[in-house]
Amino acid sequence: MAEPRRVAVTGLGVACAIGTDVESFSASLFAGRGGIAELQSLDTSEMKVGIGGEVEPDFVPAGLKRLRRRPTDRAVDLGIVTAAQALEDAGLIDGAPPYEPQPVAVILGTAVGAAESNTTLQQRFAERGVRGLRPTSVPRVMDNAISGGISIHFRLTGANYVVISACTSATNAMGTAYRMVHHGYADTVLTGGADGFFDPFYYGVWNNLGVMSKNPDPARACRPFDAGRDGCVLGEGAGMLVFESWERARARGARIRGEVVGYGESSDASHITSPSAEGQAVAMRAALTSAGVGPSDLGAVNAHGTATLANDVCESESIRAVLGDAAEQAPVSANKSYFGHTLGASGAIESIAALLGIEQGRLPANLNLENPDPECRVRLVGGDAEALERPFLMKNSFGFGGSNGVLVLGPGE
Amino acid sequence: MNLIGDSLSPMDAEGASEILSRLRDVLRDSAVEEHDWDAVVGETPIESLGFDSLTILDVLYDVEEEFGIALDPKQVVKTRTVGEIIALLEQNGA
Repeated sequence: MAEPRRVAVTGLGVACAIGTDVESFSASLFAGRGGIAELQSLDTSEMKVGIGGEVEPDFVPAGLKRLRRRPTDRAVDLGIVTAAQALEDAGLIDGAPPYEPQPVAVILGTAVGAAESNTTLQQRFAERGVRGLRPTSVPRVMDNAISGGISIHFRLTGANYVVISACTSATNAMGTAYRMVHHGYADTVLTGGADGFFDPFYYGVWNNLGVMSKNPDPARACRPFDAGRDGCVLGEGAGMLVFESWERARARGARIRGEVVGYGESSDASHITSPSAEGQAVAMRAALTSAGVGPSDLGAVNAHGTATLANDVCESESIRAVLGDAAEQAPVSANKSYFGHTLGASGAIESIAALLGIEQGRLPANLNLENPDPECRVRLVGGDAEALERPFLMKNSFGFGGSNGVLVLGPGE
Repeated sequence: MNLIGDSLSPMDAEGASEILSRLRDVLRDSAVEEHDWDAVVGETPIESLGFDSLTILDVLYDVEEEFGIALDPKQVVKTRTVGEIIALLEQNGA
């Protein structure tokens, strides 16, 4: 078997409520500017909650126009436009099509897939029965419409598929991509995740689940690890990353923005929605072992940090169990306080935040952390950005279904 | 300029122009690729707009919705140009 290879991150692309490219995202993140607001694209008058993290409305139309595409589905479109950013950042494409084929795999996470198309189809089916189902319904609503659309548009000829594991989707996808490159099954992978679900059906089912914050002040609603937290806030978005072998990246003179050092995963095997600290700890330990990194090497933890009552206590327990006393020197960041829970894209967007933190040697403030929950016994980044003291950072993602995924990220060159 | 051929009378050409305009909207709404839709004329090859044997069925579906008439899928998949779709529509009473 070939010697395992180091995995470089050479391209980033992102769109969420606080930015529509890496520069604007980074600027908001480190300035402490959140993006949660009343939803503009959805009528929530009959719902309990009407806030979220929306992408700036002109971003997708302008991005598609530049790529000479028509809109197809919100998640697919967010994926396509951010994929272009990441591929351009990596120097793999230059501007608009036509593109030359290249052997790049596309391995993406999504929690709800082509949600907009699904909702449209369901409405038409309810109104007109089977006659309401247009001939191309299957390719429009299949969950891998995102990876397939990106592969076709950019002519990326490696494997293309999606990983679906609720809120762990993007991190599981990135873990898969890491292993593909690390073990030599692919030289270059476009990975990350995309979700867009601000439609009556998908936002509605989350609304009725009862885990969303009912705080009337959108800017203060998402409060990870704060004693006054009362639930998560949803956000749409996409995060895209180019992983490639370190040797290839260096050989072609690519800018290496970070390194994926290790990955671990597990299943709680206990409850469909309640998290398990034991299950989470298994994934964290596996990630650290895979990375060859000890708890005392970690400069920070980028938490799943959903701001639900259950998650933040449970995650604190698992972090404490794995890091022990070293938890005191690995402050915990919770980026969802800025742009909400982007579900199947969250691991990717938050990994980009983590990599930018490593690149810049600092950790963004945790918004709305005014009164840390004493039951969350971890050291938390406070209301100001702070310096990152050690180079490695652990990124957690946990999902309904009991899926846990953890990445260890490190500096580039 | 006659939009779909030289054999149409002025009245036919006016009707064809209106059908073309509505067909352009249908094509645009079904398309994945962006094009200069105002430049689409009868001679425009359907394939050049990014449609294939599957996605042209979506156009057929939307055409039926827009014009309120049913077309034979076997005839639609044989069409090669926008003008040939217009001719089919006209044959079916559009």
